[in-house]
Amino acid sequence: MIELILFFKIIAAIIAIESKNLLSAIVSLGAVGFALAIIMVFLNAPDVAIVQVLVEVVLLVILVRATLHRDLTDLKGKREFFVKVFGIVAVGAFFLGIAWGLISLPVFGSFPETAVSVAVPSEWYLAHGLRQTGISNIVTAVLLDYRAYDTLGEVTVLFSAILGAVVILRKKR
Amino acid sequence: MNILPLFILIPIGAAFALSTFDILKQERKKVLVSNITAAAACLALTVLAVMQIGKTGTFEMGGWSIPIGISLVLDGFSAPVLVITGLVSLMCAVFSFSYMDMYSGREKFFSLFLLMVAGMNGLVLTSDIFNLYVFMELAAVSSFALVAYGTMKEELEAAFKYLVLSGVGTVFILMGIALTYGHTRNLSMVFIYNALSSGSAGSGMYLAAGFFMVGFGIKAALIPFHAWLPDAHPAAPAPVSAMLSGVLIKTAGIYAMVRVLFLLFAADLSVASMLLRTLGVLSLMIGVLLALGQWDFKRLLAYHSVSQMGYIALAFGIGTPLGIAAGLFHLLNHSVFKSLLFLNAGAVFYRTSTRDLRDMGGLNAVMPVTGYTSMIASLSIAGLPPFNGFWSKLLIIIAAIQAGYLWLGLWAVLGSILTLASFAKVQRYAFVGEIKDKFKEIKEVPLPMAFSMIFLAVLCVLMGILLVPGIRAVVLDGAAEVLLNPSNYIRIATGGMP
Amino acid sequence: MNNMPLAYGLAMILFAVGLYGVVCKKNAVKIIISLLIMENAVNLFILLIGYRKDGIAPVMVKGQEASEFASMAVDPLAQAIVITSIVIGLSIVALMIAIAIRLYDRYKTFDTSKMKDLKG
Repeated sequence: MIELILFFKIIAAIIAIESKNLLSAIVSLGAVGFALAIIMVFLNAPDVAIVQVLVEVVLLVILVRATLHRDLTDLKGKREFFVKVFGIVAVGAFFLGIAWGLISLPVFGSFPETAVSVAVPSEWYLAHGLRQTGISNIVTAVLLDYRAYDTLGEVTVLFSAILGAVVILRKKR
Repeated sequence: MNILPLFILIPIGAAFALSTFDILKQERKKVLVSNITAAAACLALTVLAVMQIGKTGTFEMGGWSIPIGISLVLDGFSAPVLVITGLVSLMCAVFSFSYMDMYSGREKFFSLFLLMVAGMNGLVLTSDIFNLYVFMELAAVSSFALVAYGTMKEELEAAFKYLVLSGVGTVFILMGIALTYGHTRNLSMVFIYNALSSGSAGSGMYLAAGFFMVGFGIKAALIPFHAWLPDAHPAAPAPVSAMLSGVLIKTAGIYAMVRVLFLLFAADLSVASMLLRTLGVLSLMIGVLLALGQWDFKRLLAYHSVSQMGYIALAFGIGTPLGIAAGLFHLLNHSVFKSLLFLNAGAVFYRTSTRDLRDMGGLNAVMPVTGYTSMIASLSIAGLPPFNGFWSKLLIIIAAIQAGYLWLGLWAVLGSILTLASFAKVQRYAFVGEIKDKFKEIKEVPLPMAFSMIFLAVLCVLMGILLVPGIRAVVLDGAAEVLLNPSNYIRIATGGMP
Repeated sequence: MNNMPLAYGLAMILFAVGLYGVVCKKNAVKIIISLLIMENAVNLFILLIGYRKDGIAPVMVKGQEASEFASMAVDPLAQAIVITSIVIGLSIVALMIAIAIRLYDRYKTFDTSKMKDLKG
């Protein structure tokens, strides 16, 4: 099932990159994002799916607003030849590396198995999360208690981006 | 009391406070209050960092010990980098007092500036690779906005290029983190090392290392990933260029790269060091060759940043204790003289409104402080005694020859000679000789700008004393201990217990 | 027995599609879209790594045994870092769009190959 949606997602991604009209590219990007949200539901990640849907909606609105009333056609002209060749060669080399590298990963769906023997913090979170933090949603427990410092950084990044956008869009130099 | 969290909390708190200063009605008051807040925050960071030299320590965020939580770790590698970050940001903040008069929105500028400092401090101190990613993005996102601060064509275009390449780098780093996590189910550096040393993880870790290499290579602007730097660094306002070239590419690039690579490959460093040396020599030579033909002052400096980053990568790639000490020493020195050079370029631009070397000439006569400090910095970057650049380059060459890489030593010498030629050109066209008529009336730059340039120039002269054995043992040798022998790092990170 | 090559491999193909777009496209909006696709692929990959076959969501319901829950739920840490990285990706892209809008104001086009004020 996941693979089926993934196929669909890749096709949508290719359409988003190759379509001639910017608005339809953005709509296809929406399809990619929402497909990811559906996959997340299948992967038992409801919280992440909610965040993904929210972020995708915000992004699509910003992107449509940014491109509306502007030049919508994609550009026809040829990009320099060697750039295209470089791109294809890079992607090809990339795949060889991936195919070789993925072999040693634990098989899909086998969490918490690891390639090496070591303590796994996720198991700790699952086993002791409710008792230690009093939160029944363990993802929230990790985000807001165990790794709250990450969340502080994340919020600061968001603040920084908003401040940056305000600075960039201001009228005076 | 443990002061490690203050390195992140002071700049973030000051940045949040600064963003509320918009309520002040008068522009003059706003500027004054912003200046004082930013300088005080940077000064506090510098003082705290200097106090930490030679110490080690750890702090568990939220009271959760690793691997359950995240902890900050101070060791022999992070302490000197913290000091130089604080020092350069203090000088750039003081420089901005006058320089940023040509732009509006002082409180927003300093807010972004301090967020960038917070990001760098955070990524230097953290012992968790995902946390490193978060703080690297904090530094990167604020630097994007700072590069585009002027919102003119050139700035926007450079910022867009920087954003795209840096965004790709970010995604690569995240993919590396994902692969590492998949193999070890851990994000804490200590436990990743424990996991990898307890059994062979196989080809996947090489793939992860490849992703990290590309990602951090882009952040550090090593050739062939350097395309964004010669655009982004010249386009930014001068104090921001000085911060980007002076500390950001080092903390987010080389520091993070060395930390992660030496951790993933702790068992066998040969492949990683070979890659670092290759990238280093490439950047060192191509960077300086590209710099030779430049006429734009700041662009020339930016290409020299690529070249000097090559020296640092090369020194870390040698992989002996002396090589690592030399790399750290050159990292510190380059922060000082490259930020000084960018401030010089900014001072010239402030008075003459040009960055083209052919338009300048004889500026020593009207701007003596700028002229003579740039002379010191040029001699320093070219590696002439008795300035700091000479000592660190000498140390790199000695380390290379000691480790049996005669050719690397030769390349380093050749690069140094070309650097000298390039800076002879800068001095000849910009500062020495006959002054042009249109520049006869200009004055020396205001006091804050002159102060920060003089301070950095004095540092250029004095930093050679880091090589005095007693001082060197405290400042420079600690890095090799934690990098080459991760069990030392683990001892520090777990609070002294073996 | 396992479908690992397919799921992981498809995520990597998505990553490569995005990489191709960033390298080869010259429309600023298309570059932003490609970068978003790459971020999407990485987030998906992290979640795939933390997946447990026939698992349940890491949210405890009333009356569930802690040990039984711990042996069934999927990885909460992977989900937590995906949430963080989604928000960080949003910040980067928001900033990119702001710069792209400003670039359009200056050049009246999204074509990056026409923006040639910078040499080299």
